[in-house]
Order: sequence, then structure tokens, then C-alpha cells
Amino acid sequence: AIGKSKLIRDGESVLVGVSGGQASSCLLHLIQEGLSGRAHKKLRFKPGLVFIDEGATIGMSAEERLANCTQVLEIMEKTGFPCYLKALEQAMELEKEAFTNTADQTDTASVTSVENLTKLHRYDKAEEELLALMDSLKSVSAKEDLIKSLRQKILIDLALKKGYSKVMLGDCSTRLAVQLLTDIAQGRGAHVAMDTAFADNRCNDITIVRPIRDFSSKEVAMFNILNNVPSVFIPRITTKAADSVSIEHLTERFVTGLQAEYPSTTSNIMRTGEKLHTEKKSSSENQCAICQAPLDTDVPPSSALSAVRFSETVSRCSSVTLSIFSTDTACCGGGTCQSEGQKESECCGQGDGSCQSKESKLTRDEVESALCYACRLLIKDLGDVSKLPKHILDDISQRQRRTKMKSEIEDFLLDPSNTPD
Amino acid sequence: MPIKCNLCEAGAILKRPKTGDALCKNCFYFAFEEEVHKTITDANLFVRGETVAIGASGGKDSTVLAYVLKALNQRYDYGVNLVLLSVDEGITGYRDDSLETVKRNQQQYDLPLKIVSYEELYGWTMDAIVKQIGLKNNCTFCGVFRRQALDRGAILMKVDRIVTGHNADDIAETVIMNVLRGDIGRLQRCTAITTGTEGALPRSKPFKYTYEKEIVMYAYFKKLDYFSTECIYSPNAYRGFARAYIKDLEKIRPSAIIDIIHSGESLSVKKAVKLPTQGTCERCGYISSNPLCKACILLEGLNRGLPRLGIGKSHKERRKLNEMLAQKEEAGNEKTTPDNSRETTENASSEKSASGSSKQKCENCSCGQKCLAEKVEDLQLDRRKIDPALIDF
Repeated sequence: AIGKSKLIRDGESVLVGVSGGQASSCLLHLIQEGLSGRAHKKLRFKPGLVFIDEGATIGMSAEERLANCTQVLEIMEKTGFPCYLKALEQAMELEKEAFTNTADQTDTASVTSVENLTKLHRYDKAEEELLALMDSLKSVSAKEDLIKSLRQKILIDLALKKGYSKVMLGDCSTRLAVQLLTDIAQGRGAHVAMDTAFADNRCNDITIVRPIRDFSSKEVAMFNILNNVPSVFIPRITTKAADSVSIEHLTERFVTGLQAEYPSTTSNIMRTGEKLHTEKKSSSENQCAICQAPLDTDVPPSSALSAVRFSETVSRCSSVTLSIFSTDTACCGGGTCQSEGQKESECCGQGDGSCQSKESKLTRDEVESALCYACRLLIKDLGDVSKLPKHILDDISQRQRRTKMKSEIEDFLLDPSNTPD
Repeated sequence: MPIKCNLCEAGAILKRPKTGDALCKNCFYFAFEEEVHKTITDANLFVRGETVAIGASGGKDSTVLAYVLKALNQRYDYGVNLVLLSVDEGITGYRDDSLETVKRNQQQYDLPLKIVSYEELYGWTMDAIVKQIGLKNNCTFCGVFRRQALDRGAILMKVDRIVTGHNADDIAETVIMNVLRGDIGRLQRCTAITTGTEGALPRSKPFKYTYEKEIVMYAYFKKLDYFSTECIYSPNAYRGFARAYIKDLEKIRPSAIIDIIHSGESLSVKKAVKLPTQGTCERCGYISSNPLCKACILLEGLNRGLPRLGIGKSHKERRKLNEMLAQKEEAGNEKTTPDNSRETTENASSEKSASGSSKQKCENCSCGQKCLAEKVEDLQLDRRKIDPALIDF
């Protein structure tokens, strides 16, 4: 698949995300084989490996996390490529600009020996923030979704900082088929193509690549057994949980169950995904702040999104305010609104203009306007919007300011498509 | 402490499945009707002076649809003439009971009613079809035939538009099912609120954003009368898997149904993908993406004793056909070479001998052997497997 797409040039630096599981170990093995001289078609890129420790999400103790990291690092070090170790809580304190924070450089330096693992304890504050965020999300589906987004953010951030132009992920076809259905179930239909395609270019500079997307998980397991590829099993948030605890878990059970009876299920799903594509919007303002995908909330009046908004209005506001309902407002905006979710503004209460506090807090509506449909559902689950990682909130604040700026100068902006010359 | 209704001060008697808000009876009616009204006005479904046929099966969706449309038509003055249209598939124990309900509806709402049946249109009832084909792919026949039957009945009543009671759950199931089946063409079309505008009558789904549970709640509280059994042939349908999945999803996150519809609406297909183009059927003039429409193919298969003609992979059918011919060759004295069966012309000639020996004639047109050859040729040319996913009715 790598050769077919001609995406990866010779000598390019590629960051490989290793989770320690079967699929990514298989990918690692294949990369090693491909890079060594014996290979039939030599792969020619320079890989770096990264492992993200997600132990914080399931409340693993520090020793357990250390043990897991050690195991994975051993596997990674055998390959001889530069290895990095990151923890999920670092996503809470990512900085956008790559040139600030030289202090961060030491965190992400190559981990060459196991002793460096004591650094895990340094992220306590971030860990607390992450735990608070996780706790305030009520449903497991939302938690999983958020973990996935944070993971991607870390990978992309690391790639940007270290000068990698591509990120490689080890997703096999079964996993991607489940991902596709989960995306549809969460309202991410517009991003389905990006999530399951070979090349995912939602961020302007970094491309995410999925080389083993054509192999089913059974094939991967078989390959690992035949070639003695070591892998580490690390429990996730939904391991051994009840079936319907989260959307992804349910979908996994559904797809594997269907696959047993109709063997062509996963390949059908993958083929459908291949035929779809996502429109790429040009500026970064049209990207969702959490998942970096293009916003899909620009919809005509007859659509699911406006139907949902209308339902909420109709059910929550009195019929009097219904007459002033317009499709622009998420809520009727009137003071008679009684729903609990809408009153969650962290503002000091004086309204946006005269806010005296130093940190301007974002209201829930403002946050929502910068998110895609599915991430809005995530936010709905969240009790307190300010618990989101700081860089996301900063991003949204910046967008708000730019929107205000734009509306002031709107009359004088020339639309490039209107001017013929 | 009794929970108060969100909108007025009365005590709440139900919780809306869609948004989880507590409402009292009248506010629920209001919310429900307003939502349907908004769906209709946003999509500009109705034009003043049109005649609109309501596809009435006697089930909950169509009963509530008839009631609500009549009420909204009076309240907001859409200016449309409503009529009821019902299809009799010939399933004993299911359809004859539900037809009684439709007749009662007609009297209650005072709307004209027309019933069309498979027997008079095609010469086959669903019971007979199931006897031939078994329980696994019978939904294909029923769905394809019903679509045509609705159109034919509507033309007889001089109707401008058909509305059906498909609700949000149905559309979500359809999206999932099309993804699982890999049917890109249908996937694009299935979330549109109005389908089939070229050549055939437009069909709209005003209940596109209403949950099934809310429809049931509405009917329950308003004490509307409907027939509530599942079709006796449905348990083995592929749709059942998608339905079970959606029911489970709804338990985890009630808004999942609308989310799936939103996903479906936001899907966009790559331009390079080849989608089936629409033409007309050569035999009956109905809209079709192949030279012969699906209904004609299915019907031919039934009449010839090859019930699986329109279903499944065509090369398997060809193989079966060749086996049948090989057997006939031993019995008769015809010289047909099974090896050359891949050639179109060879097959056509062998088909001619087969049809000659079995002395069958086309039901719909009297050309005898020729149209069958045409059809086999079409099947051989038909590379794309159009799976029996019935959506478009």
C-alpha cells in the first residue's frame, strides 16, 4: 500500500505510532523487514517510534504504567530507531507554537534507556486535569472519543516539533471498519472518508498514513504468530466491559458478529469507505477545534441538524418564544430558557462586553460554534466546558476574536471570486 | 415530587425519547406536530392544489401520518387534497388484517381510499412467492413490487405526490444497511427527504426526523387505532441486523438515530466512482437503471421457475442455468455445448431451445423466447451486483 500511493518519498521522516498491540507490532516488524537490505522492494524512509501511555484513563497505578512502558520500550528499542515516550496527559498542556518552550525539549528527547521512565511522575498536574476532564464526561462513548482526539493531537504535535512530515498508524481493516460505523453512529459522516482512508490530510502540514489497512485483524494475528512478533496487551477503557457500555464497543461486537455469518462484511464496509471523500476546507477556521476535521455544520434548513435544534427549542422554551425562532440560534436565546444545559456559562455574569476577569471564559455556545457535529455531542456530555485542554480553549477564543474582527471590516473585504481580474 | 412539564405548568406525563425532556400531553402533541410542520415547510414538500397520496399500510406510521397530515392541512392550510393508497401483497394473517384497519381509517378521517393488489398487477401473491423462493430473499420481491404498485395506483388516482410514513429509525437503518452492503448509489439517495423526481412520482417522507417511539407515543395518547404486528416473513431479513444494532445504539445514546441521519446527509461520494444511471425499462416503461427493470426481471424469474433470477450473483445463476441445460441435453436431442456457455449468442440459442422445450410464454409480452434471451444477456452484462436492499419505496 505504501508503494502504491507514492506518498512517502525517499528519505522522508515518518513518525510511527506504536500502541504495543498486535497491529502496531506487526507494522513495526514489517517496517523493519522493509528497511533492511533483504527486502524485495526496499522501503526508504526514516522512522521514529512513539508510544503514548494512556494508563491515566483507567486509573492504573504508577507501577503498572511503568511496567507497561518498560515492556513496550524494550520492543521498540530492539529496532534501533529513535523512540519517544509520551503520556496522554501531556495533551492537556500542548502549546501550539513549535518554537516556544525549550523546556519541553527535554521531555520529548529520545528515550534510550529505561531509567528515564521516572519522568512519568512529572505530569501530575496535567494528570489531575485529565482525570477531572474524564470524570466530567458522563458517557463512556464520549470518553473514548475524547481519548482518540487527544491521542491524535499528541502525535501531530510531536511530529511537528521534531520535523516529521508523516505519521504512520497501525490500523487494520477490522479496526477501521468498526471505526467507520462508529463514526457514522456519532454523526461524523463527513469525516468517515478521512478516518479510514490510507492518507488522512486533515492537518495542513502532517499527513496520517495507514499502511496495513488492508489486512484484517485475524491475518495480523496469524502473521504475528508465524513470525514471532512480540506484542504487549494493555487494557483500554472498555476492556472487559459490558457490551453496550460505549458506541465503539457495541459496534465492534456487531461487526465481528456479522462477520462470522457474512464473511464479506468488513471488506464491504471498507470498500464503501473508499468510495467516499471529504471536502477539505481551506482555512483553519473551518476546522473543528477538537478533531481537526472540516466543520460539517453549515447545513441547509432541511436537515438533521436544524431538526435537532428545533426539537430542543420546541421542547424547552415556551411556545411564545417559538415565534421568534430563527435557524441561526442554537437556543431561543430568551431568558425563559429552563434547560439545564444552556445555563452553563462560566462567565462572571456581567456579559461579554464588561467582563472584568483576566481570563475571559468561553460560554458553551461559543465553544459549540467551533466544533463539528459529533464533537458537539461530546460537549453536551461535558458538565463544565472550561475543563477542556487549554490549547483547545485558546484556539476557540482566538477564532472568536477573529470572527469579531472580520465582522467589523466585513463591508470592505473583497471576495476573491467576485473580482474577475 | 411530580415533575413539571418543560413548557407549561402542568404535570408532565411523559419523557420525550428524542430530547429527554419531560412534557405534558398537550405540549407533546404541540411539539410533535410543530416538528412535522417544520419538516414540511423547510423542505417545501407540498405545493398548493396538489393531490397527495398517503401510503397507508394500516400500521402505526401511516395511521399517525394520515391523522397528522389531515390536522396540519387544516391548521396551516397547505391546500392539498389527501387520499389514501393501500397495497395488498397477499400475505394471509398479516395484510388482510391491516387492510381492515385502513378501511376503518378511511371512515374515521373521511378520505378516499384505493387498494391495489399484487394479484391483479402481477399475478402473484407474496404467499405464493415465498413458497417458491423460501424465506431468505423474499423481502426483495415484496419491496420491488410494492414500489411499482404504489406508483401504478397513484397514477390511477391522478396523484401528484406520494408520502410515506418512513420515520427516523427507518432511515437510520437504511443508512447502516447500505454501508454494510456497499451500495453507494442508494447510500447517496436514501437520506433525501424527497426521492424519485425524474420520470416517476416524487415520494416524500415527512416523518424523516421523528422517532418511532414518539410516533407510538402519539398514537397511544391520542388513542389512534392501528395494526401492530410484524410481517410474518420479516425475521430473516438482513435489515433485522441493522435494526438490532440501532436499537442498542439508542439505549446508549438516544440521539444516535438523528446522528446517523446527519452522517448520511453529510456523506459525499468521490467523483470518480461510477454510479448507476437512470433510464427506463424496455418492457414496461418504468424507471430503471438497467435495460430491464428489477420488477420485470423478478417476475420473469418467477414465471420461469427460476425464482432467484434477479437475486444474488449472476454468474451463479448462469451456472445453474447451464446445469439445467446440461440435464435437458441428456433428456432431449438438442446439441448445445456447455463449454461455450460464456458466449452470449450461444447462450441465447441454448435458451431458445430450452424455452421451446418447456413451452412457456411471457406473461407480459408475447415475444416468447426473445425477451428471455435479452434478459440473460442483460444479466451477463450486469457486472455490478445490485444487492437486494429495498429502500426506494
